[in-house]
Amino acid sequence: MVAEQFFILSTLLFSIGLIGVVSRRNLFVVYLSIELMLSSVNLLLVTFSRLHNNMDAAVIALLLIAVIAAEAALFLAMIMQLYRSKRSLDSDSFANLFQGKGKI
Amino acid sequence: MLENSIFGMLALFLVGGSVAMISFKETIYSAFSFLVAMLALAGMFALLGNSFLFLAQIMVSVGAVVVLTLMVILTINAQDENHPQEPYKFRWILFTTVLVTPIAVLIYKALVTLHLHFEKTKEGYGSLKAMGETLFASWVLPFEAISVLLLAAMVGAIAIGRKESYFKKQEYFDNYDKKKEDAS
Repeated sequence: MVAEQFFILSTLLFSIGLIGVVSRRNLFVVYLSIELMLSSVNLLLVTFSRLHNNMDAAVIALLLIAVIAAEAALFLAMIMQLYRSKRSLDSDSFANLFQGKGKI
Repeated sequence: MLENSIFGMLALFLVGGSVAMISFKETIYSAFSFLVAMLALAGMFALLGNSFLFLAQIMVSVGAVVVLTLMVILTINAQDENHPQEPYKFRWILFTTVLVTPIAVLIYKALVTLHLHFEKTKEGYGSLKAMGETLFASWVLPFEAISVLLLAAMVGAIAIGRKESYFKKQEYFDNYDKKKEDAS
């Protein structure tokens, strides 16, 4: 077992998450891809923790898991609200959000 | 040898689950694939010797996040016409893969310049005791900040998710300019 394997895996996961965010339009898939990118960072942190025999990085990973949970709650509430307003899971149908009118 | 084969199996589930997640059309299948990937990631933490993180990952990412996602998916019960029409999905994924590959290579190149071989771990590495000692000795302030963050996220989720008052307020803002004109 070499650390290189874990680096490759973490890079792959991050790339897959990035591909999902950019190429898919389903709101849920975008959300799950963001979660995947956060988790890949988590894997990298734990690998570093093991490499240097130091628990600090593992503690950061533990705190990151809490951040992931908070992000999930907010994102899901937002998806519920967006779906309620337009009856659609298509991220393209919310394109007018960026105009700053606060109108969905 | 055993470690390597376990790593191979977990990596297969991890990458397979994530690729399945971004390629399924049905949302619920994506969520289940994400569940598989998160379980494999928990296995990776165990393979790296962090038993407490293994438990935390299963409890939070699998037990809370994925279950909450599944509940939301089942609650909103989106029909086929509410899903985005993506006829060129795989072409888009292929195109984005070409775009992302240089970034991935860059990240990998930056990582492999580092020290690569796992040494034998110290006594008590990854145990609950070591975790707790580090967390409550040098990471107390971030820990407390996380508590505040979770509280804020809870309040925010409730405030965003509420139904009636939000739309009332929206209506109020929509008619705000008209009201001002009427008053003057």
